[in-house]
Amino acid sequence: MKIIVAIKQVPERDAQMRINAAGKWIEESGLQFALNESDAYALEEALQLKEKHGGEVIVLTAGPERVGPTIREALAKGADRAIHIDCNDLGARDALGVARLLAEAVKPESPDLILTGLQSDDLGQGQTGVILAELLGLPHASLILHVDKTDAGLTVKRELEEGWFQTIDLPTPAVLTIQSGGSKLRYATLMGIKRAKTKELHTVAAAELTAPAVILERIALPQKQKPTQILSGTPKEVAAALVEKLKFEARVL
Amino acid sequence: MLLFTATLAEPRLFSLAEKLLLVVLVAASATGFWLRFRVVLGKILQSKPDVSFHLFPIGKRIWEFVCEVLFHAKVIRQRPLPGLAHAFVFWGFCAFVLVTLNHFSVGFGVGFLDPTGRFGRFYFDLAAVFAVACSASILGLFVRRFLIRPEWLGEQLSYQSGVIAFLIFLLMVTYLASFFVAEADPAARVLWWVHTLALLAFLPIIPHTKHLHLVLSPATVFLSRGSFSRIPPLAGDEDFGLIDGTDLTRLVSLQAYSCVECGRCTEHCPAAATGKLLNPKEIILGLRGFLNDLGPTSEEPLLGKYNPPQAPFQCTTCGACEFQCPVGIEHLPILVGLRRGAVNTGTWQDDYGSKLFLALERGSNAHGLATSERDKFIEKVGLPIFDGTQEYCLWLGCMGGYDPKGREIITDFARIMNYLGTSYGVLRKEKCCGDPVRRLGNDLVFQQLAEANLQALAQTKTRKIVSICPHCVRTIQEDWREFGAPPTVEHHSEFLARHADQLPRPSTISATNSESFVAGHDFSRAATAPNSPGALAPAAETIVYHDPCYLGRYRNVYDQPRALVNLAGELVETPRNHERSFCCGAGGGLVFLGEETGERIGKVRADELVATGAKTVATACPFCNSIFRDALAESGDAAPQLLDIAQLTARRLPKIERTES
Repeated sequence: MKIIVAIKQVPERDAQMRINAAGKWIEESGLQFALNESDAYALEEALQLKEKHGGEVIVLTAGPERVGPTIREALAKGADRAIHIDCNDLGARDALGVARLLAEAVKPESPDLILTGLQSDDLGQGQTGVILAELLGLPHASLILHVDKTDAGLTVKRELEEGWFQTIDLPTPAVLTIQSGGSKLRYATLMGIKRAKTKELHTVAAAELTAPAVILERIALPQKQKPTQILSGTPKEVAAALVEKLKFEARVL
Repeated sequence: MLLFTATLAEPRLFSLAEKLLLVVLVAASATGFWLRFRVVLGKILQSKPDVSFHLFPIGKRIWEFVCEVLFHAKVIRQRPLPGLAHAFVFWGFCAFVLVTLNHFSVGFGVGFLDPTGRFGRFYFDLAAVFAVACSASILGLFVRRFLIRPEWLGEQLSYQSGVIAFLIFLLMVTYLASFFVAEADPAARVLWWVHTLALLAFLPIIPHTKHLHLVLSPATVFLSRGSFSRIPPLAGDEDFGLIDGTDLTRLVSLQAYSCVECGRCTEHCPAAATGKLLNPKEIILGLRGFLNDLGPTSEEPLLGKYNPPQAPFQCTTCGACEFQCPVGIEHLPILVGLRRGAVNTGTWQDDYGSKLFLALERGSNAHGLATSERDKFIEKVGLPIFDGTQEYCLWLGCMGGYDPKGREIITDFARIMNYLGTSYGVLRKEKCCGDPVRRLGNDLVFQQLAEANLQALAQTKTRKIVSICPHCVRTIQEDWREFGAPPTVEHHSEFLARHADQLPRPSTISATNSESFVAGHDFSRAATAPNSPGALAPAAETIVYHDPCYLGRYRNVYDQPRALVNLAGELVETPRNHERSFCCGAGGGLVFLGEETGERIGKVRADELVATGAKTVATACPFCNSIFRDALAESGDAAPQLLDIAQLTARRLPKIERTES
């Protein structure tokens, strides 16, 4: 099975975000970058499929030079080779633009399966994978927690609301967007990092930027609010007041 | 005494037949020895060279050789009676070297010690004294092994030991008996031959049994790695730790063959004592079995048939085994080496382990908490930021920066530094020192953490670090060296003991001017009620001190924390203290893995602490503190309060000194 995993490098989860001078994106200087969380699960799912059924896992990413360490991390965890679309203006492209870049790189590989994370931790649009499927003319499913290979194609487990799941069958090739938490991630090993040095990393130039369909107007930091309330009284009174608030204010009971 | 007036009887004339027989027997005995010893030596020399090994500084090696081999210092100190008995057997052997050389020379008619001559008489008498001590000792050891049967010698009786004991006894008795027969008496000749045969039987037994330690352990002690629990750097791009036979180094193989199976390591091992699979003696014997069956060129995995894969991961790295070993085996580089082999290749899969590794791959601390949590704490307490102008960098560590109890310790220690007028600051960005990943064998993450921290410290021009955590102290000082030169680092107990004369003296303290709030756990009170000053009256409060492994055995710091405890109350000891202290169970990354089998190590130790009847348990390590916090909670209202030495010290400070900027 030949699997392509499209991954994205995003600011580290702990990063202290500042808005840049133009007000359209975050200030990237001084930030640490890491692999997008749900992409890590997509990679894990691909590696498990490869371990079970054999084949090849190729990581694909678009971004500037700084994506290097993230690519090496993916190779260290077990991907066989990588394709880097060298692109310094990722922020200026919308989901369609990025999906076009990815589709261009995927086509010559003709993989059996393409996995992406459900959404990126920075923009969170959840669009790229789905549009990629459309551009490639492939069936897709989103919010996938688990993938099984069958004789006919794939059986996948989708997450629905309220703890419901859906199991569906798909033919291959297909595109799946993977939800976080479906499997246990593996840790990077010294042996993996050393072996990764000899793995193939193919860098391709990105296509010219065309006018995006979606234009980012402005970004803003969320308003800080701290709705903490301290209840006082006897334990009995406090418990009663708490139940009241949970029922009628928070509406969780 | 009759012995000193008597003269050793040596038969004079040996027939040609006797001489020929002697030659044949000596040759057979030497061949028996060499045929086996050659194999052992071959396996050791075929093993991978230890690239990071340096013979220098040699003075330290000679000193250790004299203390531990010639004087049996540790053997006697740690097990006085059997230790002394063993020392007398050893010293007897040493004394008998000259006697034995002369004995064989006599057989060929060229004896060089004259039993009637001045030196000869003196030396034979001296040897006789040793012979008496040696035979009494070997009898005692025989009784201990075969009648008393201590459990750590194993369930299986070692009959080899019985044969050896008998031969030693026979050697001594035949020697002593020769003083009581006349030279011309045929009995003298019989005694001479029995003594000879015992000697010649002894020699080939040595390399075939654990008595190989007679030959190897002096070398093993001399060729140590140089310091306690030293984890060697990985050598080259293909070294990932101890995976298969080809990863065994000469030192590891030499140590495996040196094991005398005394079981001191297992006797002191907290994992073995609480029903875990890990048995340090069996780990070493497993490696010896591997070397015997497969050898150091085998690509069979070391973990599997010869050692259970999960056993190394039950080690708390407390170091009791390595500390106790009388023949110089260094268990920790081996146990950590086996972990390295499994972790650096991804063979070891453990939910908690992976979680820890992933947290440290991405984040800054072993708890997997957001770095902003540390920032908030620093801001709340008002800790100054280190900018290179202050004297000390106060290292928070994962416990001091993120754990509620660790933060209380830091807060109190910072108060003391304010009181003393010491300038200090905390790093704006600090990552885990890497201790848990270092001990668990994840070299990749350890290197990343060590390098990032070394860089941050170099940027701020840090020269001195003080830390509340013995694990951080050890890792920064010793383990980071692989990647750069760390600043000097000390534990807060060392810092505080050095400033003890500037701290309030016990006599100046009364219950009214000591702090009314102390950040300690007192399970006898509801969490909402602050401890009243009366409850913490410092007068003659009994305080039991627990030696953390990484401060005691690893750093040899025993007196400083005790000096602080003595300022705060009356020090009491558990039966196992100082270098025999029993681990809390947290080390070696185990606090993050959880103890899944057997009794809880921390509970066993907490029970010992409670059994002293002390009102307060004093700790000097935030991990010990965290473990005991949970273990003591089980005792409910009866539990003693639990305080770090910094907290014990801080509660004596006058209130007005709370002037953090």
